[in-house]
Amino acid sequence: MIEFLAQNLAPIMFVCVMAMLLLGYPVAFTLAAGGLIFFVIGVELSIFAPGQITLSWPFLGLHSSRTFDIMRNDTLLAIPFFTFMGLILERSRMAEDLLDTIGQLFGPLRGGLGFAVILVGALLGATTGVVAASVIAMGLISLPIMMRYGYDRSVATGTIAASGTLAQIVPPSLVLIVMSDQLGRSVGDMYVGAVFPALMIMGLYALYILALTIVMPKSVPALPPETRTLGGGVLSLFVMIALAIGIHYAVFNYALTDWTYEWRFVAAATTATAFALIVALANKWMGLGVISRLTTEVIIVLIPPLALIFLVLGTIFLGIATPTEGGAMGATGALILAIIKGRLNLQTLKEALDSTTKLTSFVMFILIGARVFALTFYGINGKIWVEELLLSLPGGETGFLVVVTVIVFIMGCFLDFFEIAFVIVPLLVGPAETLGIDLIWLGIILGINLQTSFLTPPFGFALFYLRSISPKEDWDDEVTGERIEGIKTGQIYKGVLPYIAIQFVAIMIVIFYPRLVTHYRDEVPEIDLDNVTIELPNLGGSNADGSPVNPGGLGLPGLNLNGAPGAGNGGLGLPAPGGLGLPGLNLNNEPPPTGTDGETRENGSTGLPAPGGLSGPPPIQ
Amino acid sequence: MPALLRLSAFIDSITAFIGRSVSWLILIAVLVSAGNATIRKIFDTSSNAWLELQWYLYGAVFLLAAAYTLQRNEHVRIDVATSGLSKRTRDWIDLLGHIFFLMPFAALMVYLSWPFVMNSIAAGDISVNAGGLVLWPARMMVLLGFILLFAQSISEIIKRFAIIRGLIEDDASTQHELPPLVEELESAADLDKRMGKQ
Repeated sequence: MIEFLAQNLAPIMFVCVMAMLLLGYPVAFTLAAGGLIFFVIGVELSIFAPGQITLSWPFLGLHSSRTFDIMRNDTLLAIPFFTFMGLILERSRMAEDLLDTIGQLFGPLRGGLGFAVILVGALLGATTGVVAASVIAMGLISLPIMMRYGYDRSVATGTIAASGTLAQIVPPSLVLIVMSDQLGRSVGDMYVGAVFPALMIMGLYALYILALTIVMPKSVPALPPETRTLGGGVLSLFVMIALAIGIHYAVFNYALTDWTYEWRFVAAATTATAFALIVALANKWMGLGVISRLTTEVIIVLIPPLALIFLVLGTIFLGIATPTEGGAMGATGALILAIIKGRLNLQTLKEALDSTTKLTSFVMFILIGARVFALTFYGINGKIWVEELLLSLPGGETGFLVVVTVIVFIMGCFLDFFEIAFVIVPLLVGPAETLGIDLIWLGIILGINLQTSFLTPPFGFALFYLRSISPKEDWDDEVTGERIEGIKTGQIYKGVLPYIAIQFVAIMIVIFYPRLVTHYRDEVPEIDLDNVTIELPNLGGSNADGSPVNPGGLGLPGLNLNGAPGAGNGGLGLPAPGGLGLPGLNLNNEPPPTGTDGETRENGSTGLPAPGGLSGPPPIQ
Repeated sequence: MPALLRLSAFIDSITAFIGRSVSWLILIAVLVSAGNATIRKIFDTSSNAWLELQWYLYGAVFLLAAAYTLQRNEHVRIDVATSGLSKRTRDWIDLLGHIFFLMPFAALMVYLSWPFVMNSIAAGDISVNAGGLVLWPARMMVLLGFILLFAQSISEIIKRFAIIRGLIEDDASTQHELPPLVEELESAADLDKRMGKQ
């Protein structure tokens, strides 16, 4: 009996800890406690399963240094930055301005408000990554208007909830950051890989609305023209767009030709945008009347998000900033925007910082708890168990991806995305590498999956947010004075079902057309600014720390260069858990020898273990 | 019991003060990080000390604020299975969780971090990056964070016990129907509505 327990400790532990999580006690501490309880059990039982349980008391001492390693993780620093940015942006009322103006632009089209919501959801998603902020803004602004003009309740609520979750798949999303951290790949590559899938999902949403305008035109009516308080005049908008594109093209191709590609692009885009803005502002203040009022407002309202997108994504893609610094740039930009709009005071700043702090703390403690869990779980051969389980699946690569999709989808109905990312995702790395699956590709598939988990009833967060701000009771509309029925929870659930189906289609497309993602490898391997803390080169083989270095499907199991022995572990002289000798062990936060943080674990773009100097900026000595 | 409740209130005031104070470090980290990128691009220079400062600040924030987050009941839970249970049952789960899950973990981490920090101080541990910062204060954060968390777990046990015995009321502001982030966003939206800004 005891032998049976000892030899099957990994599955037992997994099931027990999952059951403990359901107690409703904070996840972070439950994971940690589960890890510690089973650590004790594991050590006691180790004599009964000598080959399998490799735990002994001294391993416990690793926890403090492992926590310290979580602390010096630059990538996760992006979490508070983007959260803070989202909260500040909420204050600046950028979302409201966008919805108002874009809604007026598209409103008189059939399905127009639906398109507007999707577009604004994408724009908000591309500036920050906070689903709650998007859903709440859209629910407060767009939902009443949609109800007023007779949109189908389910269609309206479903579209708002789904568009809000775009924030999780459109870079710079928190899901993608956490995913690349856990998969040990560069955030920049993850962003590049996510661009086409994200655009595709937006396209599919829009197609759905388009289909509704044909099949069920009553569910997505056009707004009467008088709702356009800004007046008509779409022609001048097209003219302005054409002019801006023309200027961009001209500057990019004919001026500044001695500049580098990136900076020429930036200069051209800035010139074109500045031109549009100047025309719009001049038109507004001097009453020139060259372009319509609608066009003026659309241009003015689009400038802040575009500027922020440039600040965040532009600087990351151009290699000016790391994703973390991109978040900081965005947060600074959001602060400036809120100040300009006179919407920031000490109180709101304090509240935003306070919320960010608490969110960051609980997220990071889930990670700490997950790593306490992982130390035990890997020590009792849990990694091997999961690997054998997943590798025994039929269908190879596709079979693996489909099964993982289904598992994560089901878990996503109950667990928060942070738990899935910190507990489940690391377990998938080994098998995925054995099968030669590109980890960025896997990351995007999981990312879409987790995005979907925000939508699945009954625990999807986006539904939660929308429910909390949409009226349950009947209400009198402010404009028409008509009585409007409250929104039932069932209507929201019904509304998201088509979008969940769309998500499934999107996942399948990404699985069967990996090129949507893997094009990131075609890019010229540029200097990867992900790790800016510069190490002294050639320091004890820490270079390829944990980096799953075979996106090309080399499938080298046991390429275990991570966690170089010993030195960084608080002087205990134990091998780092990376030294347990498990294949593909993704302990990507493992200590390199003391102090060499910023090692090049994220050399994704070349697909080879990068030599020390290649994937970081030139060392500062 | 009154003495214990006073102790709990004392612990709460300390952790809340520290939690609120460190939240400002996020603002500093934002500015430092954005500054790093800008300066590196414009002046083509960079400093390891400034780069390291980012994660120093970040570590200080999430480690030192963990106790405060616990006090505000904002560590995320999976309450799918338990949200239907009575308040009393959930109070018991919390009490037992604090005693058997949180306290041993926090205590163990304090015990393990002590030598980890002391050795570092004794060795004059400095980052190997050129111009890097002294490392032991960063390691110290781990120790301090878990000391605070341990203290907070004592306070939470006292409070939860008193609530079960009916001696005090549960603090309504820590009862969240929604994730706290959302509550905050909503209250901001409400405020604007009231002020007629929408």
